[in-house]
Amino acid sequence: MFGAGQGAVLSSCETEGGGKVVWRVFQDSVMLIAVSGGGQGGTGSSKLEEVRLRRLLENVWSCMVLVLGQDELTDVKNVERLKRDLRSCFALIDQLLEERQEGILGNLTHCADSLLPPNPTLLQEALDGFSQAAESEFGCLVVHGRVAAATEKWWRLAPQEVVLLSALMRSLSASGSASCDYPVFLPKGSPTVAHRLLRFQLLPGADVCVLCGPTPSLHRAESGLVGRFWTPLVETLRGCLAIGERCLPGSVSLRPDVLAVLLINRDARRSVSFVRTAADPQPSDPPLPSKARCWELLKLFYIFSTTRYFTQEETLSVSPEERAQRGHSEDFALGFPHQPLQCYLVTEECKSFGLQTPQHQLFLLTPLSVPTFALRALATQTLSDIVAATGF
Amino acid sequence: MLLANLSKCMDVTSKLPTTGSSNPTLLVSFNTLFSSSSLSDLEPEWLDDIQKNGELFYLELSEGEEEAALAQAAANQGVSTNHVRFSEEEAEVITEENKKLTKGEPTLKRLARILRRKRRPSQRRGGGGGGKDGKDNPASSPPASILKNQPGQRSGVTVQELKEVCVYLNPKRLGGSSTTLTHSGGLLEALLGVVHRTSWSRGDTAVVGHEERLTVHGLIPNSPAIKCGQILIGDVLVAVDDVDVTSENIERVLSCIPGPTQVSVLGAGDSSLQRKTKASSPPVSQLVRLLWGEDTAELQMSIEHVPHAVMYLSLKLDSASPQEEEEILYQYPVSEASGQLKGVRGIFLTLCDMLENVTGGRILSSSLLLGKQLVHVGYWKESNNLLVIGLPRNHSSIVVCVVMTTSFFIFFFFNLHRVLRSAFCKVDHAPRLDHFFCLFFQQLIQPSRLRDGSSAPTPDVSGTLFLDGLPAVRWLTLPPEIKVCFCPCSEDFFGLRRLYVILGSCLFYKSYLIANHLPKEDLLDVCLYCQHYCLLPLASEQRVGQLVIWREVFPRQRANGGGGGTAPGYSQPRGRHFLLIVGLRHFMQCVLLEAGGCSSAASGSPGPDCIYVDQVKATLLQLEVLEAGIEDRLNAPPAPCLSCADWFLPAATARDRLDSLASSSPVFSKLAGAVKGSSSGSRGRSLFGEKARRSSPQRSLSDSGSEGQMDAGSGSGLSMAPGLSPHSTPDSGRKLGGRRDSLGSGGSDGSGGSGGLFKVHLMKHPNPFYLGTLKKTLTERETEEMYNTMKLTSGAENTLFHYVLMETVQGIFIAPTQREVAQLSGSIHPQLIRNFHHCCLSIRAAFQQSLLIEEQGGGWGLGPVKEHGVLFQCKPENWTDQRKPAPTMTYWVIGRMLLEPVPQEFYVCFHDSVAEVPVEMAFRLSFGLAL
Repeated sequence: MFGAGQGAVLSSCETEGGGKVVWRVFQDSVMLIAVSGGGQGGTGSSKLEEVRLRRLLENVWSCMVLVLGQDELTDVKNVERLKRDLRSCFALIDQLLEERQEGILGNLTHCADSLLPPNPTLLQEALDGFSQAAESEFGCLVVHGRVAAATEKWWRLAPQEVVLLSALMRSLSASGSASCDYPVFLPKGSPTVAHRLLRFQLLPGADVCVLCGPTPSLHRAESGLVGRFWTPLVETLRGCLAIGERCLPGSVSLRPDVLAVLLINRDARRSVSFVRTAADPQPSDPPLPSKARCWELLKLFYIFSTTRYFTQEETLSVSPEERAQRGHSEDFALGFPHQPLQCYLVTEECKSFGLQTPQHQLFLLTPLSVPTFALRALATQTLSDIVAATGF
Repeated sequence: MLLANLSKCMDVTSKLPTTGSSNPTLLVSFNTLFSSSSLSDLEPEWLDDIQKNGELFYLELSEGEEEAALAQAAANQGVSTNHVRFSEEEAEVITEENKKLTKGEPTLKRLARILRRKRRPSQRRGGGGGGKDGKDNPASSPPASILKNQPGQRSGVTVQELKEVCVYLNPKRLGGSSTTLTHSGGLLEALLGVVHRTSWSRGDTAVVGHEERLTVHGLIPNSPAIKCGQILIGDVLVAVDDVDVTSENIERVLSCIPGPTQVSVLGAGDSSLQRKTKASSPPVSQLVRLLWGEDTAELQMSIEHVPHAVMYLSLKLDSASPQEEEEILYQYPVSEASGQLKGVRGIFLTLCDMLENVTGGRILSSSLLLGKQLVHVGYWKESNNLLVIGLPRNHSSIVVCVVMTTSFFIFFFFNLHRVLRSAFCKVDHAPRLDHFFCLFFQQLIQPSRLRDGSSAPTPDVSGTLFLDGLPAVRWLTLPPEIKVCFCPCSEDFFGLRRLYVILGSCLFYKSYLIANHLPKEDLLDVCLYCQHYCLLPLASEQRVGQLVIWREVFPRQRANGGGGGTAPGYSQPRGRHFLLIVGLRHFMQCVLLEAGGCSSAASGSPGPDCIYVDQVKATLLQLEVLEAGIEDRLNAPPAPCLSCADWFLPAATARDRLDSLASSSPVFSKLAGAVKGSSSGSRGRSLFGEKARRSSPQRSLSDSGSEGQMDAGSGSGLSMAPGLSPHSTPDSGRKLGGRRDSLGSGGSDGSGGSGGLFKVHLMKHPNPFYLGTLKKTLTERETEEMYNTMKLTSGAENTLFHYVLMETVQGIFIAPTQREVAQLSGSIHPQLIRNFHHCCLSIRAAFQQSLLIEEQGGGWGLGPVKEHGVLFQCKPENWTDQRKPAPTMTYWVIGRMLLEPVPQEFYVCFHDSVAEVPVEMAFRLSFGLAL
């Protein structure tokens, strides 16, 4: 802003006590500024925050495009009107800011949070049929805010869009309506042309949606198609809902000393994550971190490892200038002459282990009682167990 | 002069048993002898370099280096055809020591003479031209003593290259703008376009008043001077149309030019340009030139395109007087790229002001895109002033930037003044600051350039960052048999109070700390100083003939008045502190002195006292005895055994190596076949056996190399103190023993005998100055056995690649010596070490974060980190075999922070095959090395 005349663009700032400010200009027209007050002892504040703030800016911009369309934002004719229009995406942005729902990491990882249903083929067939009938190639079944099944084309959307649409679905279904017809712009795919997002609630916690053109009408789809395709599957859906936040079918057995897992499929840009609920409250010493804390730790560890060691696909594909915009932290990972494969961290609360294979990234937390040298075996076993059981 | 010596062993936080204090009498006699001899007959050669404020920076390379420089210069000669002018006037003017010489010069000897004499004034330049009689001290350089000049007589013989440049000048163009003449540049700027800043305006008050040569400091765009393209910055304007010009008469001469005309300007060229085009490696390393304060322009030019700047800005803007750039109190450098940074200084000021209100914390750093380059900016705010340092992304991460700012701040605290403001705002500090920042940026941005000619081909940037960033000094673990004790003796003049109290001192050998009597804080301060002036690498790579540094310092702990004063009724004496660094060849001793307190208070700015300098010098000369022992240690196999990464790669490189070996020995060819056959399996063991034998010729080679150096060293050592003939006896004995050692180490059978011989030699020639501290009781074989048992990793094979152990309390760290690493040559291994250091940076950052949590409650969300490890995979480079995938090797880099029982940080790198418990390794290391 100040330095544009001199050819200088400010990108980030850091102050004592962990306060951070991040700037980013989108489409040469809108500048978003994210400020995080450091604060003393706030949860998860400081150091790693810059990556989060950058993600946040990116997501907020995508949100605004999703709701309003890029043209509206770049050629501002009436500022007051834009301000008013922007209110419609406040709910979504709030969701991004507050990160209310536990266990949703997509905003950070840009990988769609998924739920692996016990019998995926049934759901997949039903969804494919349903989308075809709705004259759409983009269909998605969302259970507990996570993608349980989606058409092939849906997965071909930009990962960021998939994540955002899931977020939109969550906020729409939180509104409690049984169905809705919502115009969306796809930030990457069609930032200027709107599509219709038809959403139907199948069961509380289970929603299905399609992205389609002018037809069919919401009413026709709701009355004609939803019942036809989904009524036979109510029991299956209930089975899905029963999985709850574990996200994995019961057939996958996990070792008891795994506190939390985040598994990312790097090709499909999907992720599965869960935190073990303290089923057996054994008085352990030191006490295990709470569930919310586990989620937080998992996120922090993800940021920690990806910024330092594991390169992400998108960082490799973007141009150097854009990478510079995203900040410096990622080029640390590029400074290693040899390739990092695994890393672990022993802190006062728990032990964390991350590993990366060409196909997957796995991050897991274990209690302190697990010996450090066993972490590696534990992680590889967990990975092979999940992959073998679900084909994720 | 009567001297009474009080041998006093300072034992502040001594880590080593000070056995040397047992025979102080010998020490005393030596000191007396040495200091009195040097005091009575000769003035020390550095005496002329002392600046008005008492500071001294005197650096002289050893004879060997000078010869190398001469050979280089001789090789360069004959290329340029400029004529040579000898004149008496120019003796102090010419500072360029590798001017090219003409064809006609007859012999190298003559060259040597000329160059050497030319060197003297150049060294003196740091002193601001105190005196000009180049008085050679025979004690320091015997060959030069042949041409010893009589004191007071000036016989400067100078080689100077002149060039004639034709410039078209038109005085009529000036017609309208008469105002331009009023400012300092005058006609020189207006007409010719040459900017010359007088020494007075540069704040260099020490310059001898009258005439001054006309150095071109800058060129004005579109001026005749720049258009002709031959007048370069750094040139000296000698004559205009055959009229000799100086700063005195130039205006008159130029004003005499009547109208548009062609003028021939005779200039003495700074040969930097030609040198660059020839791309020959400069004879004296850039670092030394930089330290001498020469030729900063060329170095600066090479990084001109890199945006970097330091600015000291005032936050208090007086809006009443809207003068341009008034808020800039200090700025360096003045280049285009940094000008861009200067242009956006408004951002820095605004951010500093605004963010404090928004986030409630002082601004630490920010990053911005300047054009296409990401620049990191670190801030330091102090009262109403703001220090800003900008560095490009490629060269440092933002964390480093902040650290640098802070450590720089600390450095200043230590070095110049108690408040940053006073350091920046005093006019006469400007040249020193310039020099300081020149070094600062050069080190950061192109560290390799400074050390060119050194052995390291690919600079390990992260390694330097990591190791320099540790709040510790590299410690060389010596076998307990070699005890280093050096006792800086404080002296009393009869009837007079002592001038200084010696607070402590530390001793470096080839950049390794080998003994220390300083408290940790002071040690770190001193080390920071040495690091900044690159004194440590200087001592390890280049043989320093003589180095004497003296300056007033402000150690952090003492300046704050806090620290040790915990006992009731006791307060730290508030005296002034002086740092004395004396270097002789590979040894360097830093002594911290205190004036005031119980010694007499210092007034004014006292220069170095000969007695103290000589004393330290004497100590160093005594320590020469130890050199053999230390060299032995440096040449010994790594104390905890190290493996080379390449050995673990099954085929490829190993096979190549074996093939090459196979040609020489039938046994190896069999081995090679075996390995070729089964790529894994028993590879490690067999390779080790072979390696152990194989490494020996290498080692003895390196031994003989250092032996040659040692020869030269003892030669010049003798020359330093010609009267001390007994000194040579143990020297030769040591040399003999040393050589046998190196030979014997090849076949381990003969080594026992040679070790014994070594001992006998030492016993036979009792040295009166021998402190009784060098005791080598173990035979070579025994030591080797001891080394072999020092294995950190568990399991049959040794899987350790590298390690770093830092002791926070003592402020030292241990790592394999460079030579140890060099012994493990290989293609992957250097890469692995780079990777290790890079990873350590990351690990240490994590540890720092967790320490922050404990201090401030802030820190990061992950909580305190105890241990952190990363598994890496590497492949051989240039894998050409299409059919098979490249073999891989995986290894861990693990860092562990221990707070109990003593704070330690331990970084280790080992092969993946054995699971290790780092804590155990750390303990094994610290106990095994017996710190």
